[in-house]
Amino acid sequence: MAHTAEIDSKEAWGGGQSPFKLAYGKLFMWFFLVSDALTFGGLLISYGFIRHKYADVWPKAEHVFTHFPFVQQHIPLAYVGLMTFILIMSSVTMVLAVEAGHRMDRKGVITWMFWTIVGGLAFVGSQAWEWYHFIIGTHDGALRNVWDPATGAYVKQIWHGANMVTNEYGVPQFANYFFFITGFHGTHVFSGVVINFVIFLNVIKGTYQKRGHYEMVEKVGLYWHFVDLVWVFVFTFFYLL
Amino acid sequence: MSEFHDNYPQYEVMSNHGEEEGKKTRSVLWKVFWVMLAITVFELVIGFLAPGNGWSGTWWLKTLFISLTIVKAAAIVLWFMHLGHEAKFFKYMILVPYVIFMFYTIFIVLTEGTYSGTVDHHTKIDPIFKEQQDALKHGHQGGGEAAHEAAAVEHH
Repeated sequence: MAHTAEIDSKEAWGGGQSPFKLAYGKLFMWFFLVSDALTFGGLLISYGFIRHKYADVWPKAEHVFTHFPFVQQHIPLAYVGLMTFILIMSSVTMVLAVEAGHRMDRKGVITWMFWTIVGGLAFVGSQAWEWYHFIIGTHDGALRNVWDPATGAYVKQIWHGANMVTNEYGVPQFANYFFFITGFHGTHVFSGVVINFVIFLNVIKGTYQKRGHYEMVEKVGLYWHFVDLVWVFVFTFFYLL
Repeated sequence: MSEFHDNYPQYEVMSNHGEEEGKKTRSVLWKVFWVMLAITVFELVIGFLAPGNGWSGTWWLKTLFISLTIVKAAAIVLWFMHLGHEAKFFKYMILVPYVIFMFYTIFIVLTEGTYSGTVDHHTKIDPIFKEQQDALKHGHQGGGEAAHEAAAVEHH
């Protein structure tokens, strides 16, 4: 920030100050996020690899995710568009909470963090709805060779929805990656909501007002933006491409 | 004030700012939000139109979507996560190793990935998939399944 005095780069590593002009908590939140980003990066690259390998039999997202609540018609992309909007919106409310914290505006932090938590819960709920419809599948289903453990052979039958071995949309790998990556992301969103809630309670109690700074809000804010960042990629690779 | 009683600078407190600067920050953040929203809406409109116009899976559409994603990701990291205003050395310490490692992983997947088997290796794939996907590509239903009926109609 502009408030930090300019430090000569030769002096910066001399001790007694942070060469990064950051408090250690924020610094280590960034280190954690880089490691988490490596995990997600690895997952998405392996997704891209498998998708390319099975390119000829990979289902198109616009044929799979077509449901919208209370609507009978199939509208591809609409629901995931709504989810993306919710998450971007909650990212904005989070950054506004951080900004309010920089002004020591406790009421502002409470308001914006409240909306961030609401947005996070709405997103987790939407994802549960999306999973539910992915798992139960369509009314018509699709013809599949389904493994029957009793006879030890594949049986041709109409199959609805998806699990880890058989799905009506296409190759099993598609459902596996969908469950794993959106599930891993959803777990991050859920823990983000829990962490936000804990910090929210502390803000209400006045802990950070007493401490003289709202850096804890900033730290959970970093985590929350990271969740949004990952979603931007998941959205592109699973739904758009 | 601080949890610690030493002479180390309190960066947590130093990052506080006044009403004046807060106003400026907020206006920038809202601008970033509107840009991101516009990009997302644009992506959705293109994605919605794609199947009907035969754009799905074209190389330029993929390039467009991935570039727009990277623009959005940059907006989140630089403004929302505030990395654009951190110390220069810190910025590079976070970004450079990550970007190098991602490019390296992509490179490895592209070059060494051939060892995972070729298309002939697809023996474990349910042959029904192949029929259904071919039927979709040729714009008619194969094998009497109704699952992709709507999609097949679109392709006519």
